Amino acid sequence: MSAMIGPSRRWLRAGLAGYTWIVVLFIYLPPVYLLLLSFNPGLLPSVPTLSNLSLKWYRALLDEARMLDALQASVMVAVVTAVVTTVLALLGGLAYRRMAANAQVGFFVFVVFPMFVPGVIQGLALSVILRVLGVTFSGWTVVAGHLLWSLPVVFIVLLTSFSVLRGSLAEAAQDLGASEWRVFWDITFPLIRPGIISGASFALLLSFNEFIRAFFLVGGQDTLPIYMFGAMNAGTSPTIYSLAGSTLLLSALGFGLALVGLTLLKTRRGWAHRAVQSS
Amino acid sequence: MTGHRRSVLLASPVVAVLLALSVAPLALVLVWSFWQWDPAIYWMRPAFVLDAYQSVVGTDRLIVIVRTARIALITAALALLLGYPVALFMDRFATARERTILMLLFLVPFFTSYIIRTFAWRLVLGRTGLINSFLVRAGLREEPLEWLLFSDFAVHVGLLASYLPFMIFPLLLAFGRIDRSLIEASEDLGGTFGQTLRHVILPLTAPGMFAGSLFVFVMALGSSVEVQFLGGAAASMIAIMIQDVIRVLNFPLAFAISTSVVLFLILLLIVGSRFLGLARLFASVAR
Repeated sequence: MSAMIGPSRRWLRAGLAGYTWIVVLFIYLPPVYLLLLSFNPGLLPSVPTLSNLSLKWYRALLDEARMLDALQASVMVAVVTAVVTTVLALLGGLAYRRMAANAQVGFFVFVVFPMFVPGVIQGLALSVILRVLGVTFSGWTVVAGHLLWSLPVVFIVLLTSFSVLRGSLAEAAQDLGASEWRVFWDITFPLIRPGIISGASFALLLSFNEFIRAFFLVGGQDTLPIYMFGAMNAGTSPTIYSLAGSTLLLSALGFGLALVGLTLLKTRRGWAHRAVQSS
Repeated sequence: MTGHRRSVLLASPVVAVLLALSVAPLALVLVWSFWQWDPAIYWMRPAFVLDAYQSVVGTDRLIVIVRTARIALITAALALLLGYPVALFMDRFATARERTILMLLFLVPFFTSYIIRTFAWRLVLGRTGLINSFLVRAGLREEPLEWLLFSDFAVHVGLLASYLPFMIFPLLLAFGRIDRSLIEASEDLGGTFGQTLRHVILPLTAPGMFAGSLFVFVMALGSSVEVQFLGGAAASMIAIMIQDVIRVLNFPLAFAISTSVVLFLILLLIVGSRFLGLARLFASVAR
């Protein structure tokens, strides 16, 4: 940036920085405001004062049996979705690495395509074919719908994490006579483990919060977002705020934990790397 | 050749699952959209009729489709305008630390509930919401603004807040692919920031602009929650129309609308990857 020294660049930087944080505020203001309201003890939404903060409506959540059932269903669906998604995306990612460039583009578009299909259409299409096939709707059918949303995302996440793989390491191992499996377990897998962990956590969160694809596929038991959608439309009980608040906090916590896990793994790998170098 | 066979083997579970859960259902929907509804059995009979498509283009359904496309277009354009300076700041001006923090901040919304984020706008835009209570208390308005909530304005705000990250990340990808020496060359030759932006940065980030706009457009086109929570009483979107049509069991019509939308999206994606370097942009993800 040699041509732009001095105050003009500094002003430009300051202006763009200020603007960027306003955009961040635009995205974060509503959920943060909702969180504030959720700690208000009154019946009508208002911002509580510091001395007035209350967990009253959070405690009230524990008495809502239907909500707790939905929460349990959502957690189970999310865990299964995360496991299946991660295994499938990992296999797909490994396949992608071995493909010719032409095949890669086609395969990438094919895997990512369901992300672009509107959830209503994808959910409806899947529910109709399942109904015709005589499948009973349950948590499993919800998993099937959620897969179509989480698989493309996790696939992309894993592909980015593959950038740490240097072909030479695996080739060296192969040259030394290691089998395909050994190369995978001893080299590939440890290197991409951070990607796998973040991919799995992202799948978990995507499934946990997905509404529209589940809407057509639930059996007798609603998932949490479906329950929440109903409660928000009915719109009277203040527990909506605490329910939304705790869901937001849980998701943010999950995201944070995934990040912490990633950082820990990276530092550990850094240590190991340095230990190897110094020995 | 074993490498090739192995990659086919590794890819087969993903391909099988996606064929079964996504492609096959959508293909069947396509076929069924030409069948004939039989009220006697509450299902369709094999046929090849265009009745369903005729009722898509007829009546006020077309209005909803055009309206949805308009809202999605405006949202994509606004997202590009709002998102580009953000990506510019993150790539060209931010410190590594700021960049990481901003990346994370724009990533979090992907993994929190869009239902909640949309619902939260009601609390901000409503009659007694954050903005109106501020305006009234500050004496700027006697009466709360009515058009803030349950309006097209609110729908656009909700869509933008939901899908802005879908614009920012493709833009960042495109920024990352710019050869730094080109920017340096432009500056060494005495180009001002404005000239470098116009002649180097903007043209080189065009694939990112297109990819981001396409993402936002597609997401907005299929959205329903934003309109259900924030739109006016008569407001509808394609996704809501499909749900309404299903509720009265008009399956062929629902399938005809769905088929039209999906075919349109496929066309957009093909055009995008053919002529606008979409696939190349994403190939860089996997490098």
